[in-house]
Amino acid sequence: MYMSVAELVTASQTANKPVYELMIEQEMEMSNSSREEIWHTMGRNLDVMEAAVKKGAAGDGVYSTTGLTGGEAVLLKNYRAKGKSLSGDTMMQAVQNAISTNEVNASMGVVCATPTAGSTGTLPGVIFTLKDRMDLTRDQMIQFLFTAGAYGMVIANNASIAGATGGCQAEVGSASAMGAAAAVEIAGGTAEQSAEALAMAISNLLGLVCDPVAGLVELPCVKRNAIGVGNALISADMALAGCTNKIPADEVIAAMDKVGKGLPKALRETGLGGLAATPTGIRMKEKIFGRSADAEVHA
Amino acid sequence: MTVNYKSVFDIIGPIMIGPSSSHTAGACAIGRAANSIFQEKPTDIVIHYYESFAQTHKGHGTDYAIISGILGFDPDDSRVPYAIGLARDQGMNITFIEEVKDSPIDHPNTAIIDLSNDDKQVTVAGCSIGGGTIEIREIKMDGFDVKPKGPLPILLVQGGENDHQNVTKQLADLTKVNDQQHYKTDRGNLYEYDLDRRLKQDEIERLTQARTKLVYL
Repeated sequence: MYMSVAELVTASQTANKPVYELMIEQEMEMSNSSREEIWHTMGRNLDVMEAAVKKGAAGDGVYSTTGLTGGEAVLLKNYRAKGKSLSGDTMMQAVQNAISTNEVNASMGVVCATPTAGSTGTLPGVIFTLKDRMDLTRDQMIQFLFTAGAYGMVIANNASIAGATGGCQAEVGSASAMGAAAAVEIAGGTAEQSAEALAMAISNLLGLVCDPVAGLVELPCVKRNAIGVGNALISADMALAGCTNKIPADEVIAAMDKVGKGLPKALRETGLGGLAATPTGIRMKEKIFGRSADAEVHA
Repeated sequence: MTVNYKSVFDIIGPIMIGPSSSHTAGACAIGRAANSIFQEKPTDIVIHYYESFAQTHKGHGTDYAIISGILGFDPDDSRVPYAIGLARDQGMNITFIEEVKDSPIDHPNTAIIDLSNDDKQVTVAGCSIGGGTIEIREIKMDGFDVKPKGPLPILLVQGGENDHQNVTKQLADLTKVNDQQHYKTDRGNLYEYDLDRRLKQDEIERLTQARTKLVYL
């Protein structure tokens, strides 16, 4: 099993195989399954992602039961149609896809958690934008997901992908890094460049706290996926341009783990700090839940 | 290093009903583990939440998710959001408790589940470590107090030395056993195995055929 980014890069160079191929081989061995079974399962995940990307931006959009989030993927779609966005349509399409997916998640729709539900929009945001931009085939999109998964496993096993343990850097930060590394590979970059993209993506979001208003995966989670996807594309572009992070990917992952452990509990998915603790955040919580009604509290 | 994420589908997946992989899909998985251990229909369900789970279970849908797991649902089952009503319709009494103390199993996303009926009672302490992946760190069943290291898959076998040898032999063909523990009470023996990889359904069935009391988590 590949336990570090360095191992993945070396194996890819030595075997002269892309990282997705290494991931498929490892999965076949670990799950005692055939290549076809694994490929099929990943294809199903891709289908779920595509459905969520479309659903959130269709018609009037989707809304959460609390009313805190929803409808903004549609706003973005309409804005894009005017052709006057500041950051260009590729970026805005990525943002729309990410927001759409997370709005579906917040409305209790079906998503594929990549790596988590809170960060579920980031990877689809990258992949369905690159699909149009680079004319990716379905097979290439599935390859993208295996590559993203390979890097994600290294992050998850060496650090964390839970907001309650590592803050939002562990969720959207990890998703963004996975997307950046896989985007580099699908664009024809080397495994070394993927590692640089991953390192830059995490470095850029290091320290990001998890502070959901009312404990809900809505504010600010939905829009954090916009920065996740933007950061993924920017980091991938920087790596493909030849920029390097100087601090190696594995050391960046270790730093993220340490930073996460150093975060106070209030900033690790307790809904007690950050934006959740603003006057408006507190009012929203009280409006939604009132006083604790159906759970006992044991002191 | 503890390897909790053993499959690419732990990272790209699971397919689930939103909104939180750790607090919804992970909670469902802890519920499913309790269901696998209890193996019957409970009449009373008590859920103790700690730390992040205690603070945010309502916002995340943790309540219905954990009950849906106890009912045996998958995290993408469309019945997940309605699980509490479905369980109460079956006559189950459900209590949620927000504990103020730190988690007794040392994780911010902790749920401890007590399931009981007229015949038996089990307690399962689990934590949701991110992306829908869980650890089970304590199981009280049939007079045993089992304390696994945490990462799944875990295999529990009740029986004698013969059963242990049989299972060990069968497992040798399937996967590496990372750790094993033997628990003994006046009521018998329980063997716990931490497996290196998840077993497929037919592999579990082959193991089950030979034994009356086997739990795979």
